[in-house]
Amino acid sequence: MREHKPKNIFVEGPISSERIAKSIQSHSSKTDIGGHSIFLGQVRADKKEKGTVVAIEYTAYKEMALEKAFEIREDIFAKYPLTCMHIYHSLGEVKTGEICLFVFTSSKHRKTAIDACSELVERIKAELPIWGKEITDRQEEVWKENT
Amino acid sequence: MVKIKIRAFGKIAEILGKPELEWECSMQTDALRNALERKFPELKNSQYLLSVNKKIITTNSPLRQNDEVGMLPPFSGG
Repeated sequence: MREHKPKNIFVEGPISSERIAKSIQSHSSKTDIGGHSIFLGQVRADKKEKGTVVAIEYTAYKEMALEKAFEIREDIFAKYPLTCMHIYHSLGEVKTGEICLFVFTSSKHRKTAIDACSELVERIKAELPIWGKEITDRQEEVWKENT
Repeated sequence: MVKIKIRAFGKIAEILGKPELEWECSMQTDALRNALERKFPELKNSQYLLSVNKKIITTNSPLRQNDEVGMLPPFSGG
């Protein structure tokens, strides 16, 4: 599964349950895998001063994000004995309740997959040049702030 | 002086009025930052990092002809 070139992590619009299910299914032939850890980021209907969030519009510095995602991927593969790792992030509009981030790690043993997935999610949120603009039910827009 | 391309994102792109800008400036990032803040005073109250050719810089850095400078507000992916 190791490829030494940047993978495209971006998906237009929300990440579908179908894509997630297909991804799980496609690993069933890899019989050295004992555990998968999956993180799904979902858009939440936050209540803000300007109304309740109905969607987030994602934009990115694509070229820089792909390079940085590659770097993070290499770091995580070096640190954890993973069989596989997949990252998908939405661009464009994702409505509340829809999935905007899908991180998937697989390994022989569960602790590796769980720890790697957790670290990967934190690094993605901290280091990838991606921005979300929250759109509210009053058609107002607020730039998202990660915590 | 060098000609560079500025790519702005998020709130910073809104302040600049567009996501891309051709800019002529002196060959240091500190000077570039000052010049941008003079032209777009709202930047002074905004948080952003600069990147040069897709690498974030934290100190005054040199700029070369055709470099791509990113103006990056705090990330909010995921």
